[in-house]
Amino acid sequence: MVKKTQLSNLVAKLLPKRTWIQAAFLLVWLDPLALRLHNMCGPVFHCYACPLATFACPIGVIAQFTAIHIFPFVTIGFLIVIGVLFGSSLCGWVCPFGLLQDVAAKVPTPKFNLPKWTGHLRYVVLVGTVIAIPYFFGEGHLLFICRVCPAGALEKAVPDMVQQAITGKTIAWPNALKLTILVLFLVAIFFVKRPWCRILCPLGAIFSLFNRISAFFIRFNLDNCTNCLQCHKFCKYNIEPEKSPNDLRCIRCLECTRCNFDALNFASVCDRQQKNI
Amino acid sequence: MLRTVVRKPIFMATRKAKVVLFCLLILLGLALLFYGVFFHFTNVWAQQDDTTVFAKSEPALIKEVSIGGVTRDSSGSLKQTYTGQPPQACPT
Repeated sequence: MVKKTQLSNLVAKLLPKRTWIQAAFLLVWLDPLALRLHNMCGPVFHCYACPLATFACPIGVIAQFTAIHIFPFVTIGFLIVIGVLFGSSLCGWVCPFGLLQDVAAKVPTPKFNLPKWTGHLRYVVLVGTVIAIPYFFGEGHLLFICRVCPAGALEKAVPDMVQQAITGKTIAWPNALKLTILVLFLVAIFFVKRPWCRILCPLGAIFSLFNRISAFFIRFNLDNCTNCLQCHKFCKYNIEPEKSPNDLRCIRCLECTRCNFDALNFASVCDRQQKNI
Repeated sequence: MLRTVVRKPIFMATRKAKVVLFCLLILLGLALLFYGVFFHFTNVWAQQDDTTVFAKSEPALIKEVSIGGVTRDSSGSLKQTYTGQPPQACPT
């Protein structure tokens, strides 16, 4: 039997409070002190056009820099460091856009699962709308990520429209595609768990690339596994944790670490345990 | 008792390989960060005036792009998209 580490014990204590932890991080992302530190990127998906944004959106920065044909050393370096340390753990525990989806998922509506192949679409979005289209067509193209992003629509366009309506000014509607994506997103979050994260999020696509090599990861202890498949029920994202504990589609909500037999634990490279898989 | 057999790529098989790869990537990330913050500067021309140029650091450029404040014109030069006060937010 493989012993539980301090880290896995800590995760077990924090797991029931995950949503609260995500909510607490809003104090970091929503700029309560009006610092507007937009010369730095945050490691989460949060539009920099939002009046309540402490940091710049890394995806927006990558896309904008690509549009002006400059390599974003700071942003890429930052994402590599964060990714190598945490993988997609930030998606599950810290991201405000993920929090929105998690809260919506608590509404008791029927929930539908997504086919596994839909997880690959994130890479299409990343390569297409964040890199290729900005590089070849510039930021004016309709499919430039910021022009279709639901985070921007929800966090900037919609509040602007409400303010314009209240003050009697002419309402500036976002483009039809952005509006359609926003509406689809707002409907989907009540019927699919984390649809943006699982299907389209380019930032999650980047972080997930580091899941198998990150400093913090999910360790599967084969010795402890009884093949009860309880972890399949704990995982809300159609992943089989005992077969692929650090799957690219995993957002590291760590629900699978509720395993009664301690077969799945959150671990770090500093942990000295045998049979790391 | 049935055991689930988990296949893993050979290069991931050892903890040592993982640690080495982790260290290399961390160093790469930090190197990119360090270079970008301290050494990467780009010339940005004023919108109206072809003779005024600002050497902007990458963090300053990040702030500029977050408000749509920089664009590359037909001659390939980077130009500010505004004169005077910067816009409040990105136009996209």
